[in-house]
Amino acid sequence: MNCCFKLSGTEVGKDNDKSKTFVFQDEGHTLGNALRCVISNYPDVQFCGYTVPHPAESKMHFRIQTYNGKAIEALKKGLEDLMQLCDITLDKFNHELASS
Amino acid sequence: MTMESPLAEQKPRIVLQEYKLAQTAPIAKDHFTVKSFKKSFKIVIIRNEQNEMEFDMIGIHPFLVNAFRRLILSDVPTMSIEKVYISNNTSVIQDEVLAHRLGLVPLKADPRLFDYKEDASAESNENDSLEFELKIKCTYNKEANKKDSSRAEDMYKNNNVYSRHIKWLPVGNQKERFKESEVGPIDDNILLAKMRPGHELDLKLVAVKGCGRDHAKFSPVATVFYRLLPDVKLTRPVEGEAALRLQSCFSPGVIGIRHEKDGKRVAYVDNARYDTCSRNAFRHDDIKDAVVATKIPDHFVFTIESVGALRPDVIFTEAITILKNKCAALLEELESTG
Amino acid sequence: MSEGSSKEPQKTPMVYICGECHNENEIRPRDPIRCRECGYRIMYKKRTKKLVVFDAR
Repeated sequence: MNCCFKLSGTEVGKDNDKSKTFVFQDEGHTLGNALRCVISNYPDVQFCGYTVPHPAESKMHFRIQTYNGKAIEALKKGLEDLMQLCDITLDKFNHELASS
Repeated sequence: MTMESPLAEQKPRIVLQEYKLAQTAPIAKDHFTVKSFKKSFKIVIIRNEQNEMEFDMIGIHPFLVNAFRRLILSDVPTMSIEKVYISNNTSVIQDEVLAHRLGLVPLKADPRLFDYKEDASAESNENDSLEFELKIKCTYNKEANKKDSSRAEDMYKNNNVYSRHIKWLPVGNQKERFKESEVGPIDDNILLAKMRPGHELDLKLVAVKGCGRDHAKFSPVATVFYRLLPDVKLTRPVEGEAALRLQSCFSPGVIGIRHEKDGKRVAYVDNARYDTCSRNAFRHDDIKDAVVATKIPDHFVFTIESVGALRPDVIFTEAITILKNKCAALLEELESTG
Repeated sequence: MSEGSSKEPQKTPMVYICGECHNENEIRPRDPIRCRECGYRIMYKKRTKKLVVFDAR
């Protein structure tokens, strides 16, 4: 359903692995803003932003620039952290439901 | 007795000033980590009814709350009528208008028990579609008891077509899996069409599973919204007629009037939760300095109004699950492509 | 298939609906167009028996 390719990671003089723009298909602000907020707070991330190039196309461009690590690792960690956030929310919600 | 300025607190607040919104302290989003979220996040359920739910999310950031709101609106699926096969429609309502109205009728069927249709042109089978029929004819009412009336309900039979006239046609093993009361329109009294004697409708309806992103009829909620929790504080005592005026500046329930022993009426903050941020107090020069209305930036009051197919708590948990699955699928894809 | 009208083995007579009294009249070819009840001269065709499919959108 969602495929994601890596776009150019070009920056003159910089290692490709550290700066990448990812293209997400069938995603928009829902995932984009959430991922951006999570990944921006990583100490290794120099720059993190997302954009929806055109509202008629359901594509989302996500750019990560890191100081040291690989951009793709930051993205993976971001997705894992987002999953953890979901788990925490679900647990607390179900706990509250059960006790009320 | 002078009260301390409520803004002396160190907690960041969004202050509703006369002409702008100001932040007292930078909202500490800088150091968002999963650990800090786990520690500070709390949910308090205020109301959980059949179709409506209101709960508080404390210690959460707006991106997550908004993500849930967007997911509930557009990604949590429901069953809705998608195809209308018209054998006969001699009523005044045009085919396409009638089909549009039927599409918007909410159905009780639990979407979790159905699959998505592989593609639009595939044959509808028992696992992905529900079939209904609407067969109704309008005739003259020949009963003698209401002969003199000129009301349409008395003169004609079946002149109004309601959603209760939609009959379920079980396909395959659906007869064993579902009861008639579990599938079918949520509300019986949705007016679909009006007819006069001689008009008839003979339609076959096919409902499928879809999500709000495709068409709004598939959205499981009437509305879902959140707001920040307001906090109203008085900076100085307000009494007498000014107190009554202050009370009227806010929604009922925010400001209460206390009757003191010496006959004075003093205003106090009863329940700031009901404030709707009208900032009406700024219209009165003498009391505009007496009250400070703020918002707590990490305390969200989340309200879900379900249409009825799914309970609101189920809708919320479904939305969270959808987000989790999205991330899991993307992670898998990243791992495989490397 | 060479015939434009559906003159199949069962030739059902064409029924038209009067514009005024909504009465059904059977009109044969070369018949004067006139309602049998009220004499109105404007007739409407009945709705097609074919199945029409609409997307409920």
